[in-house]
Amino acid sequence: MRIVVVGSGVSGSHAALTLLERGHDTELWDVGREESAFPEPRATFHEIKSQLSDPIGYLLGNNLDALIPPDSPELLRYPPSRAFLASREDPLWSFSSDSFFPQSSFAKGGFANGWGANALTFDEDDLADWPVTFSDLDSAYKTVCARIPVAGPVDDDLSPHLRGVYPSQPPVRLTASDEHMLQTYMRRKVALGKLGVGIGRARLAVVTDAAREDACDYCDRCLWGCPRASIYNPRVSTIKDCEAYRGFTYVRGRFVLSLLCSDNRVTGIRYLDTDTLAIREEPCDVVFLAAGALQTGAIFLRTLKRAYPNIAPETDGLMDTALVKIPYLSLGRIGRLENPRSFQFNRLILGLNAGTDGWPRYLHGELLNLTSLIYYPLVERMPLDSRYSKELFFTLRSALGAATLFFPDKIVPSNRQVLIESADPWEKIDLRYRETDQKLAYIQMAIGRIQSALRKLGCFPRGPVRSPSGGAIHYAGTIPMGAGAKRCDANGRSNLVANLYVADGAAFPSLPSKSITLSLAAHATRVALNARL
Amino acid sequence: MPMLFPLWQVDHEEYDAICSYLNLSPNPRLYEKLSGYLAAAPFRSDRPAGFSAFLAALHLTRFRIARLDLVTKLKFRNHRLRHAINGVLALHECDPDGYREMSASPIGWTVVPKVLGWGFGFALRLMITAPWLGWQAFRYAVNPGLRAGETLQGKHVLITGVSRGLGSDIMLHCLEQGAKVIGIVRDRETADNVRASLPVEAPVTLLTADLATPGDLVEKLRGAQIRAETLALAVLCAGVKHDGESVLTLPSLRDTFEVNFFSAAEFAAWFCAEGNPEALSGKAEDSDSAGESRSPATQARQRGDGENRAKATLVVISSIGRWHGMRGTCGYNASKAALSIWSESLEMELRQSKGSAYSITIVEPGMFQSGMTGQSLLTRLLAVPRRKLAAQIVSGALAGRQSIRAPRWFALLTWGVCLLGRNFRYRLFSRVKPRASS
Repeated sequence: MRIVVVGSGVSGSHAALTLLERGHDTELWDVGREESAFPEPRATFHEIKSQLSDPIGYLLGNNLDALIPPDSPELLRYPPSRAFLASREDPLWSFSSDSFFPQSSFAKGGFANGWGANALTFDEDDLADWPVTFSDLDSAYKTVCARIPVAGPVDDDLSPHLRGVYPSQPPVRLTASDEHMLQTYMRRKVALGKLGVGIGRARLAVVTDAAREDACDYCDRCLWGCPRASIYNPRVSTIKDCEAYRGFTYVRGRFVLSLLCSDNRVTGIRYLDTDTLAIREEPCDVVFLAAGALQTGAIFLRTLKRAYPNIAPETDGLMDTALVKIPYLSLGRIGRLENPRSFQFNRLILGLNAGTDGWPRYLHGELLNLTSLIYYPLVERMPLDSRYSKELFFTLRSALGAATLFFPDKIVPSNRQVLIESADPWEKIDLRYRETDQKLAYIQMAIGRIQSALRKLGCFPRGPVRSPSGGAIHYAGTIPMGAGAKRCDANGRSNLVANLYVADGAAFPSLPSKSITLSLAAHATRVALNARL
Repeated sequence: MPMLFPLWQVDHEEYDAICSYLNLSPNPRLYEKLSGYLAAAPFRSDRPAGFSAFLAALHLTRFRIARLDLVTKLKFRNHRLRHAINGVLALHECDPDGYREMSASPIGWTVVPKVLGWGFGFALRLMITAPWLGWQAFRYAVNPGLRAGETLQGKHVLITGVSRGLGSDIMLHCLEQGAKVIGIVRDRETADNVRASLPVEAPVTLLTADLATPGDLVEKLRGAQIRAETLALAVLCAGVKHDGESVLTLPSLRDTFEVNFFSAAEFAAWFCAEGNPEALSGKAEDSDSAGESRSPATQARQRGDGENRAKATLVVISSIGRWHGMRGTCGYNASKAALSIWSESLEMELRQSKGSAYSITIVEPGMFQSGMTGQSLLTRLLAVPRRKLAAQIVSGALAGRQSIRAPRWFALLTWGVCLLGRNFRYRLFSRVKPRASS
């Protein structure tokens, strides 16, 4: 039996590993681009400026392509050396939209090459719209927590909302700003509790046990590519685990376009050979789609067009996590020195127990104070002239931070993927997405509550900064669990094609606020475990 | 990286002033990178217009930087100073020494007096900037010459001889104004050199043509499927001058006329009639029959639709030397005299047969800083800067000027010399030393 898993990200790699553990030979198909090694692994972000012969070429590109113009809304652009995200000029780019601005990755390991490392789980409340309960998922959470190192506290104020996270590593070290924030929180806990706000230490998929060779050494370079591979990345861990099995084959250079079907069964795969740009077909017996919700939806729609011309080639859903940043100034930290080495991503998280009808009770947020970024886009946005902006920014830097809020989403009929005819060798996908009034009202309410909480924490919050739809990289629900031909069952099995399994976020029937990576891995593990093979 | 686009780039002096303003130490290596980055800015950002373009043309002194920094933070965010300051901050931040300077900040209680001082400084700066901005707005409002006229944004411009000299400067000016340029150069190696000197984003198509070979230019244009009706402006800048040879050296004389005169005539025949010579003949005097015989290019222009809405302008670069003879330049002045007189005749013919679809601008430069004139101290003092002349030619042509003679005093002097008779001119010009051919 030829089993093919499409996509090498978190979902694909965990599905493949589970299938191998079940004793099935498994092929993992992938475009499989790889980043070059990260330089000077021992140096901190600011130290590499001294140690590299051409730091400007590394950070901004040889032609300064990563230099953000003054009139751009961007605050961060990855250096050209970090090539895990595809550009819109990429020949494999498949999407068009005037309302949704997605990211796409053709890298081995997918988005996990640059994710924020937050490892959280969905509880019963998050899973209210799912045909799956927390107890169904819990064993899968346990399995993936054994595969993925999770650093975090055993118990804190947020633990009741984060069941299913099983830390195996001590929490990441806090900076002086974090300590200050936590101490303030402990003093103002009652007042913050009335707002429904709790703060705790982040649960992060990172190795922190100093005894391990790959332990984090706090070089402040998370965003620029972890040079010690301390942050979980399936490219360097789960796929390596798969390679220990003789029945595993990693096949790079394949961009899957659609599936060949007969009698409601997959009989083969149509793909683009990315080396020769030839479109080819190969037979197979079972397919697990794990190319990411958007690509998986695209493959499904192209399959519908060819095999089921009577079914409209548009998905039942498209969900996206809205992302809002609230910058703040922590008044108690002005003029203080910051730690020279730290973990760059958020060391603290916050939860808002919103209790709003129709949405999960728990809203996830991350508290981040600035340690090592390239700051000139922030200086450019300050409302003073550049000279005083620069002076003031670096004076206030250790007191500056941002609360990042992640908003949940639901399936609504108007938000979907639609196949569009194109003169290109393969059909493109139009992404139609508008936020509902209900969601916008929820966002406004939450922003107000978090701004109040920040004031109680001795911070001065500024106005919120919204990322455009699609900017947060958490996509889901393009082949959701539920009833209907264009959906799948509780085990990810397509309702239309018997031997097709949806192993990634495309199968999620709702998108909770919490970071989805651990749940993607758990879902893929569960689908692969329950698949009828 | 030389200064290609003064409207966007900053020179050494301006870079030093920006660094001084930002409390950073200038770094020549970083300046090189900044200059290269800003050279691509015209192709990444919208071109400033109106008052913004007026402010962009100001030379950046430290005083003006402090004013413009504040103004462009609030408005005119596409001003070159914003790009320059943003670039300086980015480059210095990524440089170890630059970052050390930038990140040095007060700690502890010293923060309070520092911040108060900055607040006071900022208020003072606001008080100085407001009247300064008012003064600049007044200057802009009362001087129509400072206001930008018709622009070349998105238009196609053909220029011959873009590899150096005035042709190169006209190309750079057109690019800075947002034009898409089709440049004509002599050979592939020259084309490669020109391409390498420009930012990769520059919308330039380079074609090679030997203007000394009859018909080669038009053949190459047709081969590249360039359509005459898509060109808003054509500047015939290529020229040759054989210095130090007798005017009786017939091969050089023929070569001079072929490049300086006949190639222009051939191009004009293609440009105005697109391969239909009859359309330019006097047969088309009757308005009805003229309409029928009009070329597709002319008809498209006269319909005034789409990108052909504006009329097309042909600019011929002649020389002020066309008014008198000159020994030892082997027919250069004669060819330019022919070019000027022929161009005037062409204009008459076009007006009669095609109405206002085309305009002809004859440029007769006097002393300007070109490869054809020496660079003595006197020349440097009196000659028009080449880039300034290029801007005058383009803006004059777009404004429909029939003749451009710069500098004017030199044209008057030349005409005065002409009035004094041939013996005087002989005595005057016999002192001129011949130079190497160009």
